[in-house]
Amino acid sequence: MGRTWASMDDFEAFLDGGGIVEVDDDMPDAYRQAVFAFIEMHANSELMGGLTERDWIPRTPGLRHKMAVVAKTQDEIGHAHLLYMVGADMGIRTRREMLEGLFAGRSKFHNVFHYRAKTWGDQVAISFLVDAAALASQQAVFKNCSYGPYRRILKRIIIEEGFHMRMGEERMLRIADGTEIQRTMFQQSLDDWWWPSLQLFGPDSKPGDVLLRWHIKSERNEVLRARWVQKFVPLLMSYGFTIPDPGLTHDPATDSWTSGPIDWEPLKRTLAMGGPDSARRIADAAANWEDTHWVRQVLDDAPARSAGAAA
Amino acid sequence: MSTGLLPERVRTAVASVDDPEYPGISIVDLGLLESLDTTTDGHVAVGLIPTFPGCPALAMIADDVRRAVDAVDGVATVDVRWLGAPVWRVDRITETARVAMARDFTVAVRIGREPVACPRCGSPTDEQSMFGPSRCRAVHTCPTCAEVVEVMRA
Repeated sequence: MGRTWASMDDFEAFLDGGGIVEVDDDMPDAYRQAVFAFIEMHANSELMGGLTERDWIPRTPGLRHKMAVVAKTQDEIGHAHLLYMVGADMGIRTRREMLEGLFAGRSKFHNVFHYRAKTWGDQVAISFLVDAAALASQQAVFKNCSYGPYRRILKRIIIEEGFHMRMGEERMLRIADGTEIQRTMFQQSLDDWWWPSLQLFGPDSKPGDVLLRWHIKSERNEVLRARWVQKFVPLLMSYGFTIPDPGLTHDPATDSWTSGPIDWEPLKRTLAMGGPDSARRIADAAANWEDTHWVRQVLDDAPARSAGAAA
Repeated sequence: MSTGLLPERVRTAVASVDDPEYPGISIVDLGLLESLDTTTDGHVAVGLIPTFPGCPALAMIADDVRRAVDAVDGVATVDVRWLGAPVWRVDRITETARVAMARDFTVAVRIGREPVACPRCGSPTDEQSMFGPSRCRAVHTCPTCAEVVEVMRA
């Protein structure tokens, strides 16, 4: 058995001192719930992202990018696998319960996976803008994450997400350098994906946010979001694209960009499974789970059979 | 000003390239470098072998090697190739790299049919899946400390 703490104050003092919680520690229930919910949403998002990526394997142009999409699909599904195991070890829900909750539309996944990727331009926007937003959030968690098992998995996930971003950047440069038709397609993708990517960071962090207090997140949502805007606005503008934000402002003194007012209604709709593509995505993932039932059955039966043979 | 013989300096440059999957660990320590030929007039040919064919990082690694060798004083041309043979095996990974992978990335290396030791507590682990996020790694768990461990294997 791991460590115990006499009170929440003691536990928080431990966290503030840079303490790392391990799975067998007697952590406060509220902390366990908060960490679990965070890991579960991350796992769900990796899985839903992997399924979208898979859809694009046959449609990806060129062998090099097709190989990269195959590898990225494996990465995302593999990340989901690791995260579900780490989540299940917390003893709140089993891996199967988490998956069944996801396929029944009961548990959350990132807003960006509630939209449909219609064109290759959308896939480029996703691998460039969305992956960068997800990576920035994960890096901010990793930097100071108090839950050891998650932190160690995150380290490897972040390295792999870095590949995806490098690939996304290469794709963006190619499309920016492409024909007028390709550039028009990508501008449309930017128009469609700019706001969902920005909303991925979530609304401004509340003063009492336990994720910050318990060192699960290390930076406030609005800080990460502002940094992302600061990086991508000048970059996309330098390639001649337009940012679909009429309220965007530039401060010449500091050369910094600030986004206009953000409408959070679309984010709320995705969290309530009412996004433009939520129903289809969940149904598709659920059908996939149904179709692979026989595989799980065979695997579940296998050890029992070999034990019987040995006896 | 450069010191040492050209082949040595080129080798040092190749060794300065880290595997993108393991920042801080050299591709030479992972056993990716198979051949290195340097002519007196500065033509360099680097032969690398991939841990797994179809690894998505191949182009990235070759680019990094090309850039590193190109920066060496006295190098005129650089040719970096991925070789089809020999096949990479986990026993090409040096002890230094193995220790760093376990310590910094909780990744274990499986040699032959030997049981895999958990990088955190040393207990033998159980295989959960032959494949994880990477093609070259399986997924294990540790029954003692519950760690989810990735295992590099041939």
